[in-house]
Amino acid sequence: MTAWEEIWKSGMGLPLGAPGWVVLVAAWVVLFVGVILPGAALVGFFERKLGSDLQARVGPNRAGPAGLFQPIADVLKLLQKEPLRGKTPEGSVTWSWVHAMALYSTIVTLPLGSSLVIFNAEMSVFIPFWAALLVSLSVLLMGLSSRTVPGWYGGLRVSAQAITGAFPALIAISTVGLRAGGFRWSQLVDSQGASPLAWAFLSSPFEFVAFLVFLVSGLVLLNIPPLDGGYSVQDIHGGVGTLTQGRRLCLFLLGRFYGYFLWSLITVTLFLGGWKLPGTLYRALEDVSAFRTLAFLEVSWVLLKTTVLMVLVSLLGTVTPRVRSDQITDLSWKVLGPLSFLALAGAAIWMEIFGK
Amino acid sequence: MTSPSVSASILEYFKNLWRGIRSLSGSFFTALPYLLNVKSGDLKKEVTEQYPDPVSSRIADELPPRTRGLLVNDIDRCTGCRECEVACPVRCITVEAEPGNIPSKLWVSVFDIDFSRCVFCGLCVEVCQPGSLVHTKNYEKSTLTPGELVASFGRGRVTPEQRLKWARMRDAEAKDNEELVT
Repeated sequence: MTAWEEIWKSGMGLPLGAPGWVVLVAAWVVLFVGVILPGAALVGFFERKLGSDLQARVGPNRAGPAGLFQPIADVLKLLQKEPLRGKTPEGSVTWSWVHAMALYSTIVTLPLGSSLVIFNAEMSVFIPFWAALLVSLSVLLMGLSSRTVPGWYGGLRVSAQAITGAFPALIAISTVGLRAGGFRWSQLVDSQGASPLAWAFLSSPFEFVAFLVFLVSGLVLLNIPPLDGGYSVQDIHGGVGTLTQGRRLCLFLLGRFYGYFLWSLITVTLFLGGWKLPGTLYRALEDVSAFRTLAFLEVSWVLLKTTVLMVLVSLLGTVTPRVRSDQITDLSWKVLGPLSFLALAGAAIWMEIFGK
Repeated sequence: MTSPSVSASILEYFKNLWRGIRSLSGSFFTALPYLLNVKSGDLKKEVTEQYPDPVSSRIADELPPRTRGLLVNDIDRCTGCRECEVACPVRCITVEAEPGNIPSKLWVSVFDIDFSRCVFCGLCVEVCQPGSLVHTKNYEKSTLTPGELVASFGRGRVTPEQRLKWARMRDAEAKDNEELVT
């Protein structure tokens, strides 16, 4: 029995003899229902509310106090829509399921806490990349099988941006891996200190460049505003999103949110200290072996940081006009790529001179 | 034109990069006071007019004098000339008129305005000679059934007996007038 199984079993009250796959499924469900769904609702709400503040609008204000139940109302509205039977191409339905499966397979590697992370392997950082590329492939095929022009162009743009965005992001990850000495989640987090000054993005100017490159290339890879050329409303009517409606649109939008959430979580883990609690809290709790409290505090801390990062990035998306898709790929190849190499080389030299 | 040297183009590259970052952060920091409500005055004010809940600060009397709200026809002054029906670009006005009890004025039996088709252009008001058709400042007409959007101002249809009786009344009056003239 591995360490994560033991902790999840005791945390969820499962019998000790439960097989591994049961624990895995239970953990998957808990993370999906307990973290991703409420996270999507809350971050979406704050994004809309703060975005409306920026533009001197009111924002959602009818459903519940200050419009807090607006996400629930939106979901219920989408769920009760009648599916257009026979009008949606079969291929696009199939690929939308591949899209969802590829996305949510990464739940097993969510770096949510020292004990909660399920799959803590040598190369766990790269699993989300595999998923992101499969997601882009499925979006491409969804678009191509849709028999609509917005679908074709949206799919092509999404895949083009995914290829260009993955490249600088991988180089930026190597910059962090160089410093941490490996790509295990626990290794990456343990190489950073507890205070913000000891987080990876402030450890050297090159790490800071790598942080910015990683963040922006994530926007390119996953088509997140303002770099969402593949889902542009003005010229291709929202791309692949146009041909989905009802519960499939619900699933698709949740998937887009999840990609954004995953990317922010990885950025926080790689560059912003991850789940490491401030001060000597970790040591104190470990001494009294309060593992459940520890896990809860770690999850809350890392989710708080992720939420702040997501809201900041989405505000940047609010104040910036959408960038054209070819300009995004240009930016990725010509600016993010060279900068990521610069960061990698600089970080290596910095480590040689100043040590870790 | 000679191509720029390598060092000059590298410098240009970083200058462009810096310009991009400055532009991006510039727009971000320009918008930040709106978010944090740092400044008072216009920045703090939400320009959205909330309607209907909480009730809008604007009551009907505060609206501009030439507001084109729902139409109202004063049927006592209406002559049934059908000018408005002709002028209407969306044909939302239906008028039926026939000779009434006095020869000088028509009996307007039907005067229906279908507000589900009305575009509030005001052409009917402009052509109305007696000035009976006017815009009000009322703009609340939301209903659950489209039929309720038809406003009827007519005096009602005339029965055949009534029509006969009025014809006789008109004839009698015409005879009186002839006698007066001669």
